[in-house]
Amino acid sequence: MVASVETEMPALAPPKRRFVPTGFKPTLPALILVLVFFVLPVAILLTRSVTEPVLGLQNYATLLGSATYLKIFVNTFTVSALVTLFSVMIGFPVAWALAIMPRPSANIVFAIVLLSMWTNLLARTYAWMVLLQRTGVVNKTLMGLGLIDQPLMLVNNLVGVTIGMVYIMLPFTIIPLYGAIRRIDPMILQAAALCGANRRQAFTGVLLPLAMPGIASGALMVFVMSLGYFVTPALLGGTANMMLAELIAQFVQSLVNWGMGGAAALVLLVVTLSLYALQLRLFGTAGERS
Amino acid sequence: MLLNFNSLGSWKWALVAITTLTSAFLLLPIVFIAALSFGSSQWLIFPPPSWTLKWYGALFSDPRWLESAWTSLRIALMVTVLSVVIGLFAAFGLVRGRFVGRDGLRALFMTPMILPVVVLAVALYAFFLQIGLAGTTLGFVIAHLVVALPFSILALTGALEGFDKSIEDAAILCGASPLRAKITVTLPCIGHGLFSAAIFSFLTSWDEVVLAIFMSSPTLQTLPVKIWATLRQDLTPVIAAASTMLILVTILLMLLAAAVKKGLKA
Repeated sequence: MVASVETEMPALAPPKRRFVPTGFKPTLPALILVLVFFVLPVAILLTRSVTEPVLGLQNYATLLGSATYLKIFVNTFTVSALVTLFSVMIGFPVAWALAIMPRPSANIVFAIVLLSMWTNLLARTYAWMVLLQRTGVVNKTLMGLGLIDQPLMLVNNLVGVTIGMVYIMLPFTIIPLYGAIRRIDPMILQAAALCGANRRQAFTGVLLPLAMPGIASGALMVFVMSLGYFVTPALLGGTANMMLAELIAQFVQSLVNWGMGGAAALVLLVVTLSLYALQLRLFGTAGERS
Repeated sequence: MLLNFNSLGSWKWALVAITTLTSAFLLLPIVFIAALSFGSSQWLIFPPPSWTLKWYGALFSDPRWLESAWTSLRIALMVTVLSVVIGLFAAFGLVRGRFVGRDGLRALFMTPMILPVVVLAVALYAFFLQIGLAGTTLGFVIAHLVVALPFSILALTGALEGFDKSIEDAAILCGASPLRAKITVTLPCIGHGLFSAAIFSFLTSWDEVVLAIFMSSPTLQTLPVKIWATLRQDLTPVIAAASTMLILVTILLMLLAAAVKKGLKA
């Protein structure tokens, strides 16, 4: 009885053989989709990196041996590291406040965080392109306040990319950090106070260490997501300040060089997956992506 | 002490100040875009010299914008249906099945979520060029389905794990066929899971940019691709109008999701 409930279509199911496990068949459509349109294409692309134009590792030698590409790797890692740093430094106090604020105000802040996260990526990036341009609101405000004499160059460089990316990554930092702080028992901090710790001591000695696994896990996730970002760097960075994802797209779209495209994709993939493996090993979770 | 809002002392105001500023920072671009879309300045001067609806007029009278909105909607709806159906079957297998490698399979289904989307976009583009799906609606739907499916499976396995299977068994003991028991008993009980799977799948496809850039052709463009292509030329306020419409759709769907969640709890 129960066994027949567990197969999707008992009427059509062939008589069970001994080693056929139960309940596998319903996953087949998803499995076929993932194998044919995910695993296979990625495998083909990566294979092309060692077979085109000729068999060998010359694509990797070019990619890892040239100053032009080295600059792109440096750009990618620098921007990702800065974005991670700023996101955590801004996100931590906000998450902390959210965890202890009175309910109604916390709900408003939460709604703003979610609205920002779910607003179309291009709409948000467009907004920053306009806000940060030479004659944009940011420059005008700073000049109006007398803080600067000349408009700052805020777009078509890595400053623009960093601002735009911090904006996009903040919700992805605030939400997991909020969870991490909510899991801390307030009584532990009460105990620290009773033992005579002042605020600063309680913060550095108790709250921060207790929140550290959450902070590290959130930071790693933001870093990994930033490494592979395409749209925001492409629009706010300009062509002179490329990042890795744009390089992959450029190899394929403008240069039609599948070998180099595949090689760059493999580099990004290896870095991404090893950082996720590290995350799984350290924190036992792949982070909360959305 | 540090986790009690009222005994934070002077730190309380520091936290409140940072949170307020950050909220303003998060809200600023969205409000700004909406304001610009009604502003009369072609050069996006802020605050706008006067207010107008002409950018919306330009948006709604241009068949290319309307065509791309219709393409977006069509593709997102197809992705939603396929993602929920395939995700539902997969969730039944993952939650109820007993087979070797089940946890590995679950992890495999989640990988499209963590892989940088540009890698998938390039790989699928190459693959579709070879099998003749490049620039087709089917290719578009498949690409978005690959990234929407993990969200759907996540929502549906969660819902199915929270469902007490003995209720379904009871229906079968009372004479319902296994299929009928699933349709009339189980599905209504995991309705919230089906609903979030649908919303997530729809929004994933509707807002997706990177795969869309690679899957599009001059005659097949979704709204984000149209915005992307226009943005590379100039920052015209028509984009602000289009973006505001996209933001509106997102807000409506978020409110709908919140209302359904509330309705289910009540």
